[in-house]
Amino acid sequence: MNRWTYIRNKAIWSLFTIIFVVVLNFFLFRVLPGDPARQGIRDPRLTPEAIEAIRIRFGLDKPVINCIQTINPFRAGSCEINPLDTQFFIYVKNLLRGELGISFYYNRPVSEILGERLWNTILLIGGGQILSIIVGVVFGILSAWKARTPLDYGVLVTGLVAWSLPTFWLGIILLFWGSTHGFPIGGKATPGMSSYPFFAQLTDMLWHLLLPTLTYTIVFMGEYMLIMRSSLLDVLSEDYILTAKAKGLSTFQILKDHALKNGMLPLVTIIAINLGFTVGGVIQIESVFSWPGLGGALFEAVSRRDFPMLQGGFLLIAISVILANFLADLMYSYLDPRVQTE
Amino acid sequence: MKQKALYILVLAALILSACGGLAGGGGQPSVVRIGWASGPDSLNIGVAWLASAYTISELTYSSMYEFKLDGTLGLDLGTKETASADGLVYTYKIRDGVKFHDGQPLTAKDVAFTYNLVMAHEDFPTLHSYVEHFVSVEAPDASTVVITLDQPIPNIASKLVFLYILPEHIWKDHSEDDAAAAYENLEMIGSGPFKMLEYKPNEFIRLGVNKDYYGAVPKVDEVIFQVFSSSDVLIQALKTGQVDMITSVPNTSVETLKSAENVKVVTGAPLSPDLEDIIFNMVDPANCPTADGGLCTGHPALRDKQVRLAMAYATDKNKIIEIVKLGLATPGIALIPSGMGEWFNIEVKDFEYDPAKGNQLLDEAGYKDANGDGIRDMPDGSRPLTFRMNWPSSDNEAPRIAELLSEMWRELGITLEMQAVESDALTSKCCPALDYDLMIWGWVADPDPNSLLIVPTTDQIPTGYNETGYSNPRYDELFAAQGAELDKDKRIKMAWEMQQLVHDDVAYIIPYYPYAVQAYRTDRFTGWLDTETKLALEDPSSLTIIEPVK
Repeated sequence: MNRWTYIRNKAIWSLFTIIFVVVLNFFLFRVLPGDPARQGIRDPRLTPEAIEAIRIRFGLDKPVINCIQTINPFRAGSCEINPLDTQFFIYVKNLLRGELGISFYYNRPVSEILGERLWNTILLIGGGQILSIIVGVVFGILSAWKARTPLDYGVLVTGLVAWSLPTFWLGIILLFWGSTHGFPIGGKATPGMSSYPFFAQLTDMLWHLLLPTLTYTIVFMGEYMLIMRSSLLDVLSEDYILTAKAKGLSTFQILKDHALKNGMLPLVTIIAINLGFTVGGVIQIESVFSWPGLGGALFEAVSRRDFPMLQGGFLLIAISVILANFLADLMYSYLDPRVQTE
Repeated sequence: MKQKALYILVLAALILSACGGLAGGGGQPSVVRIGWASGPDSLNIGVAWLASAYTISELTYSSMYEFKLDGTLGLDLGTKETASADGLVYTYKIRDGVKFHDGQPLTAKDVAFTYNLVMAHEDFPTLHSYVEHFVSVEAPDASTVVITLDQPIPNIASKLVFLYILPEHIWKDHSEDDAAAAYENLEMIGSGPFKMLEYKPNEFIRLGVNKDYYGAVPKVDEVIFQVFSSSDVLIQALKTGQVDMITSVPNTSVETLKSAENVKVVTGAPLSPDLEDIIFNMVDPANCPTADGGLCTGHPALRDKQVRLAMAYATDKNKIIEIVKLGLATPGIALIPSGMGEWFNIEVKDFEYDPAKGNQLLDEAGYKDANGDGIRDMPDGSRPLTFRMNWPSSDNEAPRIAELLSEMWRELGITLEMQAVESDALTSKCCPALDYDLMIWGWVADPDPNSLLIVPTTDQIPTGYNETGYSNPRYDELFAAQGAELDKDKRIKMAWEMQQLVHDDVAYIIPYYPYAVQAYRTDRFTGWLDTETKLALEDPSSLTIIEPVK
């Protein structure tokens, strides 16, 4: 099996998974009790007529799918209706046209909200992820290389502490420290900066981004350090490394040409998984730093029964996870020749 | 080299922006920065749900009446109100020379357009209820508005106060069918003391002064509402001076804030008074709304007034307030909070805390501990007095109230099975399914008492608003009568009797009416209205008069 067949097979599987998620997303949230037209609000001003008007506006008056009127509470409906008059097929039809619908709660197109939020999340996790990978890999290698030295113990302890730090706690400590040292106390930008030149706006945003990114880096670097260290130590104890040593190669050459490629494999998997999931938002960091990311938006959408937001958001997460895994598979096929020949 | 250049560029920009920041803080424009927990859900007030959307609307729009901090309603855009003798026709004169933020004049036509728009739109869920009995609204000339009703309604001011006047020249393109509800209204053109400058959903709102405002022109240049997603951060933002005022202070932070430098913590009745209530499922099986999904699985003992009364006697409201609210609330009586002023019945005498009396009542009614397990049983021995107790999981205070109640009622030989339930799920359990025994929840009042008085009426059992299933013909009769009573004093008397009835029948135990708690920096702006009956520093009443500290 050559590399292209491998990639094609992976791509087909990814596509199937996405289709499955599209279907699941629709039914999953409709199983929850509660009426999205009321949004969890009990208000005597809300007449039954008003609720009915909202339901019609959101298309919630239509049957969920042929034979089923509503899922929770379950009510059967007519089976002999045009499928295109059901919520499910309207959802699929719109999705095929690239429309994610209008958020029940924000009354704005879901794609617009998700776009804004996704960009904010990428800003936050992008820098943090790169930094934590660099720090994690470098110190992981150093630690494995200098195993059982004070440096190694230092990295080990730092890694363990960083990995086990509660994210929320670390964030709030950094924020409290920062707020008395001239750092902004949250948000993405200083209100009123929009009339300033682009560069001032950019610095303002980077300034706001600093502490959340630092939190993210610390939380994730520990994991990377430890995994890098242990997997490299594993590789370094292999016979072929001994052979390389016997051939008289320098430690640097051994690491660079023989050990690192193999030692990176587990880390690639972990990074891919983390990347995929953190796109869904690092809600703890977001909520400490009032960062308007995806996590908060989705959390809100669940409690509001905002179906279009939930469907769009979870589709986005699913695609990210699948995409990240697909990329990891590609990396594997490059890093590990066995994957191509199996 | 390239890297170095970039570094210098960033540094230069940083210095530039810092200078810009300094100029903003110490120089000409005065900017009030307000921190709050969440911004509006929509700038289209027709479809907005959250109180924060109304806060922003109060600042950017004007309406026929204004809601004052003493709880009364006074004419604002209107200058004169005349009612016909039968109470069916109201004629308003409005101010001349009022302009929208875009410079277009505001005339009676805009007022009529707005009211007609709301009347035509059932999909404006909350606003539509205010025009329930409106038949037609016309503008015979540029300064006259005539409203015709199908029946006399008391307190028309309370209906009009939230109907903010929208500009016809903008909204007429967004008034048909779904278009009105779908309109995002990002420019938010109104005629209030402030105009919308910048809106970043979930981040901040920036409002600028409206120099053409017909009332007192604000003395500050800008007001910024910034969202902080955790209350600890809000407190820290105020302490470090990154905001000048915060709209709510959690009780647990009051002490720390009081000791902070240049910060003042203030309390008062909320602009929209609210209450926490303990709700009994007491529905009579005959009233069970089975057609609307009623299950009515409530514990039979709770239908017995003696049991509810015993529980009321064993409830130490002062202790609950002391522990849960740290003293920042007043003991509750009935569904009308004390913050509603004259509508609140001050004559109702509450059941004094006396657990011995509670035990005596239960003994007399025959609820004995038949099997010696320490829990009382039904008089026929069929089941113990063990009640399910639920509350919405979003309520931070309910778990502690429930814990205290569980202790207090254990002295009566009553036990609770406590569980928090997500609020949507709880709604489908409670109302109108009545599939619970006890709940802790709350209500928020409208300026008019009608919206809370309607709750315990028999008609509202199938709709789910009558959460207890309480049914009293006298109460229903009074509710109908007060809804058509134009004499305010008579109406107040009816409202008072209704509160007495619900209290005597122990349909609810109201542990408390919470205070509004806010805080501001004393070194930035002066003139905050913090000694009125109601406290709302984010209201135009404060924001139009505060000025920078010199």
